[in-house]
Amino acid sequence: MPDRLEMRRLEVRARDRMLLDGVHMSVEAGEILALVGESGSGKTLTARSLLGLPGPRPGIVSAELLIQVDGCCHRPYAGLGPAPWSSKLLDKRFKGIRGAVVGYLPQDARGGLDPLWTVQRLVAESITLGGTSGEPADWLRRAGFDHPAVVQPLYPHQLSGGMAQRVSLAMTMARGSRFIVADEPSTGLDPTVRNGILAEIRKLADDGVGVILITHDLRLVSRLARRVVILHQGKVLEEMAARELSSATSTRAREMLLATARISGGSR
Amino acid sequence: MNAGARFGAAVLAMVLAGWALASISSYDVIADVDPSRASLGPSLDHWLGTDHLGRDVAWRLLKASQAFMGPGLLACTVSSLPGVAAGALAGFFGGPIAYALRYLATVIATLPRFVLVLLAITIYGDNMWILGAAAGLAYAPTLAEAVYNRIDSLKRDEFVLAARAHGLGSWRILWYHLLWINCRYLVGRHALYLFSYTLLLETTLSYIGGFGVKEPTPSWGNMLAFEFGQRDGNPWGAWAPALAIWLTILACNLLANSLVEKRRA
Repeated sequence: MPDRLEMRRLEVRARDRMLLDGVHMSVEAGEILALVGESGSGKTLTARSLLGLPGPRPGIVSAELLIQVDGCCHRPYAGLGPAPWSSKLLDKRFKGIRGAVVGYLPQDARGGLDPLWTVQRLVAESITLGGTSGEPADWLRRAGFDHPAVVQPLYPHQLSGGMAQRVSLAMTMARGSRFIVADEPSTGLDPTVRNGILAEIRKLADDGVGVILITHDLRLVSRLARRVVILHQGKVLEEMAARELSSATSTRAREMLLATARISGGSR
Repeated sequence: MNAGARFGAAVLAMVLAGWALASISSYDVIADVDPSRASLGPSLDHWLGTDHLGRDVAWRLLKASQAFMGPGLLACTVSSLPGVAAGALAGFFGGPIAYALRYLATVIATLPRFVLVLLAITIYGDNMWILGAAAGLAYAPTLAEAVYNRIDSLKRDEFVLAARAHGLGSWRILWYHLLWINCRYLVGRHALYLFSYTLLLETTLSYIGGFGVKEPTPSWGNMLAFEFGQRDGNPWGAWAPALAIWLTILACNLLANSLVEKRRA
């Protein structure tokens, strides 16, 4: 049975408002699953729930997460007692899962790097944590840097958006994560750089990593992903194969498609 | 490191070297009285001349560093240990205890530090070590507040979330990434300010007399008071300690100002 990550019945509540209501998805090793939806539909919250990091305010009130890796099954949310669960409790349950099994590429890649560390040390720490071999330069090269020696002494504030994305990609690769949650990796990048980053993510999936790609760019979805989950106001609107995206039935999904088509001049 | 910081580091290194030299030397401040060579100008035998009791100003200047160096370092230790720990824990974990600690820190901060230190040496004895410890304790809330604010703002940064998602524990994130990597300059800056503050306290009290270091034990403060306004005296007897106080405090401040985290381009 292939490695698999499956989330079911995810509910997140802030006070009396449901932020996520019964979200479900599953991804297999080597597959790219796209999670799309407009801003505020709960994409990032879903992503963080996969790591037990919903943030300080909202509380996860129900979740069934099953992560199957090397025939070993993790169910971090099972048997946690009455919800919402404290972050301390979740820290304990997700120990050994965060990073090692599920990696996270934060939305703001530069903000995700310790501001006072050089790239070299950042990647070196991931290598130590992941117990992987190789020098930081090797991993940086694998993440698409042709001249890692130039990047290694730089601090995060000296990196461009695309470079920061590649550095956090290198860190996640060095960490040896089996599944990667990529939170809008293409936002704010020019088309050339974006294509480069997406090619690296594609390569990662080809190497057997399961990728959950969060985006609101529907053009990417049909190119990269095999399946799509469309979120709207905290609910799963539709789940379908990526190539059937143009035949989406719900009005919301159709609206999003049309808006994307208008912005990109009709060519998807 | 800019020119000012280099200058500051050089001066502080010289003060440290003088302190070390004075600590290992066999110069006896009490025996070195010789009225026959009172108030001499600088010469090869007495580099900064002698005071009006005929004591060597240069040696006394070096020896006087013992009056503030130990207490100054003690003040830094005494303020950093509780200040950094309380500030970091309260900033990172928050909650009602953090609220109570902040309240306490605010209350202590309303009391003038100088008065607190005077109170301590009045009650517990006129001793420079007690002065150092009191200055450190009186400064601890300020340091805790600074660390608290830094940690409290950093813990919401995306990189802390990313570090968690990367599988790092709270402990390592707090002590290593937040405190060591992102706060060490802040703490160093405060330690240097505190050191110069302790020096100023010690020399002020010794200058005024009553409290502080008393004759014949030298302090830059009592050397200044002893020689200041002496008729036909050796001008270096007063100028040397005055310049030493001024230069050391300037050096601390210049060095402290260079300890800035370079987070933004």
